[in-house]
Amino acid sequence: MNKTKTFAAFAAAALSLGMLTACSDDTPSGDDTTGRTKLTVVGLLPGATEEAKAALDQQVADFENQYPDIDVEWVEYEWKATTFSADLAGGTLPDVFEIPLTDAQSLIANSQIADMDSYVKAMPYGNDFNPGVLQYGLGPDGHIYAIPAKSIYGIGLHYNRTLFTQAGLDPDKPPTTWSEVREYAKKIADAVPGVAGYAQMATSNTGGWQLTVATYARGGRMESVAADGTATATVDNAATKAALEFLKAMRWDDNSMGAEFNYDWGSINQAFAAGQVAMYTSGQDVYTSLVQANGVDPDSYGLTTIPLEGADSGVLGGGTLAAVNVKASDEVKDAAMKWIDYFYLGKYISEDAAVATAQLQVANNQPVGTPELPIFTSAQLDQYNRWIAPYVTVPLAQMKPFTDGIVGAQPIAEPPVATQDLYAALDPAVQAVLTDQNADIDALLATANTAAQRAIDANS
Amino acid sequence: MKRGLNPKKWVQRGGLAALLFALPMIVIFGVFSWWPVTQSVVMSFQKTNLVSEPRWVGWDNFEWVLTDPNLPIALKNTLWFAFLALIFGYPIPLIGAILMSEVRKRRGLYSALAYLPVVVPPVVAVLLWKFFYNGAATGVFNTILGWFGLGPFPWLNSQDMAMPALVLESTWANAGSTVIIYLAALIGVPAELYDAAEVDGAGILRKLWHVTLPNLRGVLFITFILQIIGTAQVFLEPYLFTGGGPANSTLTILLLIYNYAFGASVGANYGAATALSLLLAAALAVFSIIYFRATRAWSTT
Amino acid sequence: MNVPRWLQRFRRDATASAQSRPVEALTRGVVSEADWKRPGVRWTMRTVHTLLLVFLIISCIGPLFLMVKFAVTPTQDILRTPLALFPNGIRWENMVLAWNKVQVSKYFWNTVVIAGGSWFFQLLVATTGGFVISVLRPKWSKVLNSLVMVTLFIPSVVLLVPLYLTVLNPPLLGQSLLNSFWAIWLPAGASAFNVVIVTRFFDSLPREVFEAAEVDGASTFRLFWSVVLPMSKPILGVVSVFAFIAAWKDFLWPMLVLKRAEIQPLSVRLPAIQAREDLGVFLAALTISTLIPMVIFLIFQKLFLSGAGMSGAVKG
Repeated sequence: MNKTKTFAAFAAAALSLGMLTACSDDTPSGDDTTGRTKLTVVGLLPGATEEAKAALDQQVADFENQYPDIDVEWVEYEWKATTFSADLAGGTLPDVFEIPLTDAQSLIANSQIADMDSYVKAMPYGNDFNPGVLQYGLGPDGHIYAIPAKSIYGIGLHYNRTLFTQAGLDPDKPPTTWSEVREYAKKIADAVPGVAGYAQMATSNTGGWQLTVATYARGGRMESVAADGTATATVDNAATKAALEFLKAMRWDDNSMGAEFNYDWGSINQAFAAGQVAMYTSGQDVYTSLVQANGVDPDSYGLTTIPLEGADSGVLGGGTLAAVNVKASDEVKDAAMKWIDYFYLGKYISEDAAVATAQLQVANNQPVGTPELPIFTSAQLDQYNRWIAPYVTVPLAQMKPFTDGIVGAQPIAEPPVATQDLYAALDPAVQAVLTDQNADIDALLATANTAAQRAIDANS
Repeated sequence: MKRGLNPKKWVQRGGLAALLFALPMIVIFGVFSWWPVTQSVVMSFQKTNLVSEPRWVGWDNFEWVLTDPNLPIALKNTLWFAFLALIFGYPIPLIGAILMSEVRKRRGLYSALAYLPVVVPPVVAVLLWKFFYNGAATGVFNTILGWFGLGPFPWLNSQDMAMPALVLESTWANAGSTVIIYLAALIGVPAELYDAAEVDGAGILRKLWHVTLPNLRGVLFITFILQIIGTAQVFLEPYLFTGGGPANSTLTILLLIYNYAFGASVGANYGAATALSLLLAAALAVFSIIYFRATRAWSTT
Repeated sequence: MNVPRWLQRFRRDATASAQSRPVEALTRGVVSEADWKRPGVRWTMRTVHTLLLVFLIISCIGPLFLMVKFAVTPTQDILRTPLALFPNGIRWENMVLAWNKVQVSKYFWNTVVIAGGSWFFQLLVATTGGFVISVLRPKWSKVLNSLVMVTLFIPSVVLLVPLYLTVLNPPLLGQSLLNSFWAIWLPAGASAFNVVIVTRFFDSLPREVFEAAEVDGASTFRLFWSVVLPMSKPILGVVSVFAFIAAWKDFLWPMLVLKRAEIQPLSVRLPAIQAREDLGVFLAALTISTLIPMVIFLIFQKLFLSGAGMSGAVKG
């Protein structure tokens, strides 16, 4: 007599399981019911300021005005070597996302990003990209996969002018040699207790990244690639050793590096913006994020080139490319290109777009005019800088040491093979030097070299 | 019941209802437990990047894992973590629980206090302690210790102190639940046993040694092995406190597994990750079997 | 639905045994009445207990107390003089910013939804499965039981990668469960531990009741819903507490499967923003994230503590 009830109950239970198929929070991109193409794009870092969000929302609205058939949604995004892989494998990346220059080749080889060739070539500037930058986004078939978009950076030395003044240093005369860096760091650390005169990233592969910066600045290289393409790790070279000795001296002889050595890209920015760090090296474009996410005080910000010493020394250059999800349909790819044009590239080409974007940023208290390196040509970047000149909100005068100094510097690309694995292998060496007074630099570099070579071999 | 011979009868006798009731269990365990376990064995012999077809590579993954110079480091760190967790986390709750069981008034207050840190979300606890551990002289712990003329200590910025610092936080966060488990077991000790011991003229310490502890043996054995199995899989603390640093001094096995699978920006090595997981599981299984064999004699007496 | 009398009686018995051995129920411990009467023992015990109380207050409440203090302290004071008593005043704004800008409320709600769903599936699987294994006992249930028991001995780390790939590409569904709560709810249901506790409890129920119910003509479903479940309230309470706490605490799994900020629980969200948020606001966010479960704990203290004690009894 109660059989029906049993079945009813289980029908309900089965239904609750069956809901799985019907209900998922994951709305795939593409045509939605209104016939608009839905496009997800990467936006700001997690924890960005309300003003930065407002500016981006306004840009999205403006874009949707121009293209009423596209519905853009932005998501928070922070590229981290230690989390990107899960995003990629999980297919949870938005339609348009950003990747470092050095990852593009592996992603293309693994067919993990979409071929955007025809869309890029159809743009008026499709053939005008700086070839030195574009090469990273080209596949073996010569097609454009990853698009030079967000930024091309050279590493700069960021410093806190207020702390310079407090230590009796002239903020308009930043250090120009590594020994001056050391000397200034010591002065600041002595004069302002609790502040690190110089700090260094050390975790999530950023330790290896910045050690590579310091190596290049002293004329060393991390990898050598033979004509047949086989790469050899050379992280135990004299320049890297000198770079670590330099850190060791500042940390243990001068005690001018503060008390925190677990910084990564985000946390060192935070410490710098909070006035706990007087000098550190990072991409020259980091000012934008210092404002958007960390609320840095513009008056205290200073930027100069890193000291270059020794033959063949140069500035590590890198950049961020825009890539489109490999699963994107043609409509989505088309919409993605429109967004990339609107959000990243168009402003460099069209005065109207440049002015409109700058005005919008100004209205929302966002930084305009952070120094950039050319995605297209230098002449074209100069022209863009003239367009936005009336709207510049960043303290350009305080960045003059960098913008003047970078002109003659040799840009050097990141190690080409297994870049992030190589950086990961170097992290422990940097951390060991900063946390162990008796660290044996030769042994550390030998270990790191073995680990890096292992990763390189596994990669090929 | 002869299933299949007479389906109608089988249904009438409730066979179908039983099957329906078992359905959630079969589906959920099937998809989210039995299937992945089988998969992990398969995957440990494969190379896959989720894009191209998986490729059989024999024992390559195991070879890669076993030749990784980080493996001995991670193994040593994990054992070190387990050992420290035992030193900090095993006797203190036991002593605390025994003392608390003698409290006559407001015992509830004591146990609630002890349990309070357990209620703090673990991520919050780690992030809070990370801030306390600030290595500057103005860090919270360094300020407090400075009152007694100690420090400043580098805490997480020292290869020697990082691991004990992690364990200290982990003990703080977890000891409460162990205390409550011991308290419950202490309550289960029959009063007659104490009475009998007293008739024999036993003092407090003798009663403790001859009555209390033997009666807690079962619980003590179990919490011991559970703690070992738990600490062998520690992830949250090293991941959030130090990311395995400084200089790999807090790199644990599970962190290594995570790094293989999810930590390298483009070269996810799922094969190596599953291979190492299986090795860890096997090691734990062997340890548990030996442990239960060795303790069976004691725990049944 | 009117409840038969025999059922009422058993319900009452079950509820009575539910209050099994609360922490206060200890009749006596090592120290006897006679011992207590000796001044030496009495004073030692009193001193030790006072010291214990002081230790518990400092070590268990101390850090939390500091956290609450920092939550309303200006960041520069937190950094320079962490233990000074508000040299530059109190900054209530931290709390406001944590609530509004960091949106603790939203992530808290996500945490509740995740815990609630996990709770439902754990209870569903454990009760229906336990009912089959312990009460209905068809022949094949032994196999089922051992298959479930085996998973009890498989450390969760083995599942990490394959489970992730299963959720990424689940059988039959053809759609990734990533970025949906299902990716957490459903795997949570596969808890052998819950099945053990529930099955053991069902085993302890008197079988005469089931027979009586059958004689009464109750269907299988009615047996489950109106007889077994009501008698099992205590154990369901314990399983519920476990389920909720486990879901509340989980970090690695939600971090892997919930990539979109809007649906992340607090445990995933807080570490993601720590490098951006102002320290004072961040500590205020930590405080709010703690206060809410703390209040829940203080309200349901008994249930929590008896549940935690029970876990030892069951494991033992």
